[in-house]
Amino acid sequence: MKKFLCLLFLSPAMIFAGDLKIEDAWIRAVPSSSKSTAAFMTLVNKTDKPVLVTAGACPVAGEVRPMVTTKQADGVMGMAFVENFSVPAKGRRVLEPGGDHIMLMQLKEVPKAGSVVSLVLTTETGGKQGRIHLEVPVR
Amino acid sequence: MARPKHSDARSRRIGLIIIAACAVVAVPALVVLFAVAGKSSSPWFGQYDPDTHPAYNFSLTDQDGRTVRLQDLRGQAVLLAFGFTRCANICPTTLGNLAAVYRKLPPAAQERTKVVFISVDERDSPATLKEYIPFFNERFTGLTGVPADIGTTARAYGAFFRKADAVGSDKSDYMIDHSTYTHLIDPDGNLRVLYRFEQLPETDKIADDVLRVLAAQPPKNQP
Repeated sequence: MKKFLCLLFLSPAMIFAGDLKIEDAWIRAVPSSSKSTAAFMTLVNKTDKPVLVTAGACPVAGEVRPMVTTKQADGVMGMAFVENFSVPAKGRRVLEPGGDHIMLMQLKEVPKAGSVVSLVLTTETGGKQGRIHLEVPVR
Repeated sequence: MARPKHSDARSRRIGLIIIAACAVVAVPALVVLFAVAGKSSSPWFGQYDPDTHPAYNFSLTDQDGRTVRLQDLRGQAVLLAFGFTRCANICPTTLGNLAAVYRKLPPAAQERTKVVFISVDERDSPATLKEYIPFFNERFTGLTGVPADIGTTARAYGAFFRKADAVGSDKSDYMIDHSTYTHLIDPDGNLRVLYRFEQLPETDKIADDVLRVLAAQPPKNQP
């Protein structure tokens, strides 16, 4: 049981830091010409207060911001920046392809499939700032 | 001692009767259910168009600088999507899914299938597409053209696009809102099936549609 808990704790797919647990984080591998890419994950809030993901930082990107995908009835889709992703108390929020994502912009280098990229997310819980350090696989 | 034995045999008999009764009721019920389901549901996964509508015969430039007309692709099933290479979320998802559809086709069907991505972004050149398209599949075609031709082509396929906000502080790095339908054009050049963006992860079912479109028009025998 102890060993199992240890493995659970070390598993890169499940990272608990402060108020959010991050599950299944990954960054999309994109063509070498790309100026941006996106990080996807599930944000799990274990607390009884809403947690906001406000920004991020990543060594390969000039700017890291939360972005939502907008969709109209006629199938037209676009992207829009948001101030934050709010994860409801005791709830979860899924960032996935075609939906919400953490946008990595002004790429200094295009992350290669199979590599791992450091990503820091900035959070806010009831006015208190927090940081989550992630090592995110690229695929 | 005899009693439990007797009761065992009896409960076994009752059990058998219940199983038989269930079978008598259930088998015809299932047969009816399958018949109804088979009749009411289309074999096509996407939105199928039973009428014959010729797809617009575009003439655009591919990633190698060659002119490609839809007409040149007669005899092949064409999966056609619109987008732009700076699109960080929607277009890579679409092309990633179409690459998975393509991989699921047997080699003979791959020979008769073309995945075509038309850029609606005037910043995309054949050279940009050359860096972008082969990442998803070496055999995919990326097309670009002068804005008037791209506009005419998009309108003809009911595709919409407009410039949106810049991503971040670099104003030249603007995004483009665009429609996200994928067309399946049959080997005779007719619009056959339409997919919504949300349907694209069902790559097995789309591959089945492609095979069905190819089976409807078998390859012309060489003389």
